Amino acid sequence: MNKTILMPIVVLVVLGGLLAIPKFVDSPYALHMMILLFMSVMMGQSWNILGGYAGQHSVGHAAYFGVGAYTTMMLMHTKQIAPWYGVWAGIALVVVVALIIGSICFRLRGPYFVLASIAVAEILRLSAINLTTLTNGAEGILATELPAFKIGGNIITDFATKVPFYYIGLFLVALTIAVTYVVQHSKLGYFFQAIREDQDAAHSLGISISLYKNIALVISAVLTSLAGSFYGIYVGFVDPPTVLGLDVSVQIMLICIIGGMGTLWGPVLGSLVLVPLSEALRSNMITEALVKVGMVNAESKIGIFLKENLSHAHVLLYGILVVVVILFMPDGLMGFIKKLAKRRKQEAV
Amino acid sequence: MAILEIKNVSKFFGGLAANSDVSFSVEEGMIMGLIGPNGAGKTTLFNCITGYYPPSKGEILFDGRRMNGLDPDKVCMLGMVRTWQKVRPLAKLSVVDNVMVGALARTSSLKIARELAMEQIKVVRMEHRADFIAGGLPIGERKKLEVARALATQPKLLLLDEVMGGLNPAESEEIIQLILDIKKRGLTQMVIEHDMKAIMRISDRIVVLTSGEKLTEGSPQEVVSNPDVISAYLGEAHA
Repeated sequence: MNKTILMPIVVLVVLGGLLAIPKFVDSPYALHMMILLFMSVMMGQSWNILGGYAGQHSVGHAAYFGVGAYTTMMLMHTKQIAPWYGVWAGIALVVVVALIIGSICFRLRGPYFVLASIAVAEILRLSAINLTTLTNGAEGILATELPAFKIGGNIITDFATKVPFYYIGLFLVALTIAVTYVVQHSKLGYFFQAIREDQDAAHSLGISISLYKNIALVISAVLTSLAGSFYGIYVGFVDPPTVLGLDVSVQIMLICIIGGMGTLWGPVLGSLVLVPLSEALRSNMITEALVKVGMVNAESKIGIFLKENLSHAHVLLYGILVVVVILFMPDGLMGFIKKLAKRRKQEAV
Repeated sequence: MAILEIKNVSKFFGGLAANSDVSFSVEEGMIMGLIGPNGAGKTTLFNCITGYYPPSKGEILFDGRRMNGLDPDKVCMLGMVRTWQKVRPLAKLSVVDNVMVGALARTSSLKIARELAMEQIKVVRMEHRADFIAGGLPIGERKKLEVARALATQPKLLLLDEVMGGLNPAESEEIIQLILDIKKRGLTQMVIEHDMKAIMRISDRIVVLTSGEKLTEGSPQEVVSNPDVISAYLGEAHA
């Protein structure tokens, strides 16, 4: 079937299914997993615009995530400003931060840009720890009481369940993917990819390198900040390591690397693998599954060992998986799928 | 009318003069050949003209406008575009997407850019390759892709840096015909080339560089019969 007809149909069906999920599923845990998935797709897709399309591998995206999360939370906590207003302040601040970072770091290429991006995120993390009057330092900000969302006096939702968060997340994911789609199918997408493939060649073809790198960064940073704000209000708590830490930056990047950089659906695939996997490892589901299928006796030495240690080892196992994917699928899952499709096509011929 | 004027241009890297006091001008509609032994400073001069290096001294005037210190993207927008000695395809993009990047310098519409790109792909006779991934092309076609991409920016002056380097005689012949076709359409070209036979055939005028300095300038016949040129290429004994 024609790909150009098939794709919108698939997207609409999936979107319809996702819209209907809360009507049929009322397990808060399932909704929580979906919300985590949405957040992951947003983070990966935002990075994808700068890292995947424009080829600027930022390892400091926690900076934008954290600034978004902190701004929204700080305004809500200290000034009682509702997050749907605070998020705009977060976006404005992130644009400023991004342009400062961009004007400094984009003078550098390749590994030097990567190092500079890490440095900037670390500066922000340390600032958040030490500017205690503003950020409450290492203790972080706890603000779980969300005001009710009203339109014209009617309460739309009071955020008592996970359902409103689910829909906000779904909306934001759709927005992020839509933005990426529009970028990919415009002059911007072509220029970003030209810069990624060969900066000097792009420059000779009339592309202002600094202008278009900064555009990519601002789009990416704004979307990342939205994800950060959403994280803040959903979890109700932010502190420096969870929103500004280096591992946040790495996590954001991995979603994309594993799914496939510079592809529209790569971050979605990456999230579909990483989110359930890290959850399964963390909550010891794997040991339980092994016991259930009878491969391991829960009372045996191995069973007890796994039960006690596997959940602690989740970071290690996660790391091994990342290494395996990078070694055997250098273009990520999307690249792998495309390769398989191409091979099948050739075999058919 | 001179479209490009190089006035006393020098470029120093530390103590080394890659170009020193080079002056010449390129008339509209002509093909200017730029030759010289390895290390004569031909590519450095291209880099100075197209904004990759600011010249240390001297002036570059394009269409009467001073170009010193302009960035390469501005240079391209003003109508001067180059190709690269070591080809630089946008490897993961298809041929038509590569050329579209060039065309997008003049339009924001992808649809128009695609049409403009297809026109240039036809000029270099690569229609059958339009949907190929550029990174997988053989060298001859990569060179032609460079030309098509540069043409798509709609330049007034095209600078070709060794487009025939590394090609077999048949491929070189194709490029020669391409350059002559482009000339017919009225586009001014400046060509760096090592293949003496080729440069003699295509150039209206030739500038010879050695050790960063201009040795001589003239018609192809004048240049080949100049004893200084022969000794620069083959050594004193042959002059």
